[in-house]
Amino acid sequence: MSDKRILVAMSGGVDSSVTAALLKEEGHQVIGATMKTFCYQETPAHSRTCCGLDGIMDARNVAERLDIPHYVFDVEEEFTRDVIDDFVEEYGRGRTPNPCVRCNSRTKFGDLLRRGRALGCDGIATGHYVRSGPGPRGNASLFRGLDREKDQAYFLWGLAPELLPMLHFPLGGLTKDQVRERARALELVTADKPESQEICFVPTGDYRDLLKKRMKPRHPALEPGQIVDLHGTQVGEHDGYAGFTVGQRKGLGGGFSEPQYVIEIRPDRREVVVGPREALESTALAVNDLNWLHGSPNPGTGVQIQIRHRAAPAPAVVGTTEDGVLTLELARPERAVTPGQSCAVFDGDRLLGGGRILHALRPHPASP
Amino acid sequence: MDEIYLDHAAATPLRPRVRQAMARAEERAGGNPSGVHRRGREARRTLDAARTRIGELLEVSPRSVFFVRGGTESNNLAILGRADRVRRDGTRPLLLTTAVEHSSVREAVAQGTEDGGEAEVLPLDPSGRTEPSALNGLLARGPALISIQQVNHETGTVLPVAQVVRAARERGIPVHSDMVQAMGRIALGDPDSLPDLVSFSAHKLGGPRSMGALIVRDRDLLAPRLFGGGQEDGLRPGTEDVVGAAGFAAAVEMVLSELPEEGGRLERLRNELEEGLRERIPDLIVHGVEGPRAPHILNVGVPGLSLDLLPRALDMEGLAASAGSACRSGSTTMSPVLSGFYGEAHAVGVAPLRLSLGWTTTSDEVRWAPEVIARVVARARRALEPDTS
Repeated sequence: MSDKRILVAMSGGVDSSVTAALLKEEGHQVIGATMKTFCYQETPAHSRTCCGLDGIMDARNVAERLDIPHYVFDVEEEFTRDVIDDFVEEYGRGRTPNPCVRCNSRTKFGDLLRRGRALGCDGIATGHYVRSGPGPRGNASLFRGLDREKDQAYFLWGLAPELLPMLHFPLGGLTKDQVRERARALELVTADKPESQEICFVPTGDYRDLLKKRMKPRHPALEPGQIVDLHGTQVGEHDGYAGFTVGQRKGLGGGFSEPQYVIEIRPDRREVVVGPREALESTALAVNDLNWLHGSPNPGTGVQIQIRHRAAPAPAVVGTTEDGVLTLELARPERAVTPGQSCAVFDGDRLLGGGRILHALRPHPASP
Repeated sequence: MDEIYLDHAAATPLRPRVRQAMARAEERAGGNPSGVHRRGREARRTLDAARTRIGELLEVSPRSVFFVRGGTESNNLAILGRADRVRRDGTRPLLLTTAVEHSSVREAVAQGTEDGGEAEVLPLDPSGRTEPSALNGLLARGPALISIQQVNHETGTVLPVAQVVRAARERGIPVHSDMVQAMGRIALGDPDSLPDLVSFSAHKLGGPRSMGALIVRDRDLLAPRLFGGGQEDGLRPGTEDVVGAAGFAAAVEMVLSELPEEGGRLERLRNELEEGLRERIPDLIVHGVEGPRAPHILNVGVPGLSLDLLPRALDMEGLAASAGSACRSGSTTMSPVLSGFYGEAHAVGVAPLRLSLGWTTTSDEVRWAPEVIARVVARARRALEPDTS
């Protein structure tokens, strides 16, 4: 029996269920914790207590099956502040946020972890497909999951470096099929649960519903504006720039001689700039909100960057950092470098850190 | 010590003698009390005996004892049954209550207003006292009912039920009291000053869960909320829980016979617990000390812990307690009870902890508990430091 007390963040999905099971098998003292992040139901104000969340029920069921304590932690206030409000503000600025990254760095590995420490836990585990282990100098590091289809290291660039020795990711060396097999063998209710793909706090699947609810009335991001081409000539109208993201092709209306893509969003003029596919290519990018797991890499260092989930790593060279903004030079042009999205920085499989994309640097910038 | 159980206000373990009484009832009275056959008659006799015993013990007519399924149902029937009754006479019901009631009173009153009534709150100070002028002013508005609990379920504060009964009776206004936490913990006083409607729950006394009673002075005060076979004089239809009633009566008998001694014992233990905590946690806030307190509840606030963490952290160390009423765990807002007593601002940045004692509580438990709690509080404060900056 290990004397390690480990908090497992259990969402009620199959991955975190198996995570808890594996750590229990290893002999750790495992505690299941589910975060209540927001209220799904619109209930009358006077009876607004806990919601009947399926996820919480499933997690509790698995915890009972594994015979581990399970607690629900209400982080609604922090989650709203750090994740939902940020999501809404970013769209208001014409950017495309990455709420899962914010939730990991602020909520799961912040607020939940603090609660775990208050319970006397010396470690925290999640069902992410990443590996933790010693790096080249023996220091605790994070690596991409072995199942490349499932690898989730991209979502973890924002973790505080001092947490690294406390993290456990038992699924990092497994494939999704193996995880499901384990869940079935353990007869966990979550074994055949479908993957969650949507943003958890956008139950309708259309984030604009949420923006309409949470933005001030007549927020410019939801007001009509012009669609312009690279020369600034109006080519159409849109019903709010918050509905657009760089690289998007759909929703621009027809009548173009060649396919048009969103190249840039200019919130100050409520303009959506469109252009041909080539105009999406960037040779460098500026990144801020930087976070480094092992100190900032020196200028000139060759790295690989990942600018969206499931994207192939792109070779890049670290440039200078000025006023908290890092320039990364790409070895080959990348398409649709999207402001607000994450840029995770790797050395091979090892996660170095990352930041939020401020803007793309293009050989032929769109004319103002 | 494997376990320290300090959550008796949520549920107190079944007492062995209650279990025996229930086992006997189960053997004897397996039939439906409505049956015309021998088994039915035996069930009826067992049910009637329980009702009679509870009436005798409370010094009220057995006919005023209505069995229901627990405290929540009892409170709901009193409040909403009263509101419906008044509405039936063509009057818009005004419901008076306090800001510190159990959720089953608070939410029933809220439902009563949604159904087309009004509600007003009788102000209380932190000691539980109310100004006679405020009380009289509200009573002058001719409410359908005033509902005030006898002992607060989170702080143990004793509320001035007798004062409210006196003032209301002068004006012919019916009074309901949630006495779920009072029964067996404090003397219920002169039977003549008992309110018109009184709610009790069995599992707070070492009786079975899902069993309770509403004492109803005058059946005409209420309209039923459920409809069916007419059991319990039509106020609570449905096949009666004969075994539960037998257990309930046995539990009432035990706690009332033990009350003078047991009340003193619990008070000594509670005070020892309180001292132990104050010594180890110098900035501890103790709620409910401003006025009279029932002996079985100690409610403390730990500054610097803004999260609802303590009960979980204590569970990890084998100590069972709760943040407040069990019925509101998991909710996002701070305790409405504490803000009701102390104002909205009070609860911010203070982790509430309710420690409640009962028949299984030993002096070893109250000696150990402060050690465990102080250790957990120190650890939680360290863990949360970045958050409190």
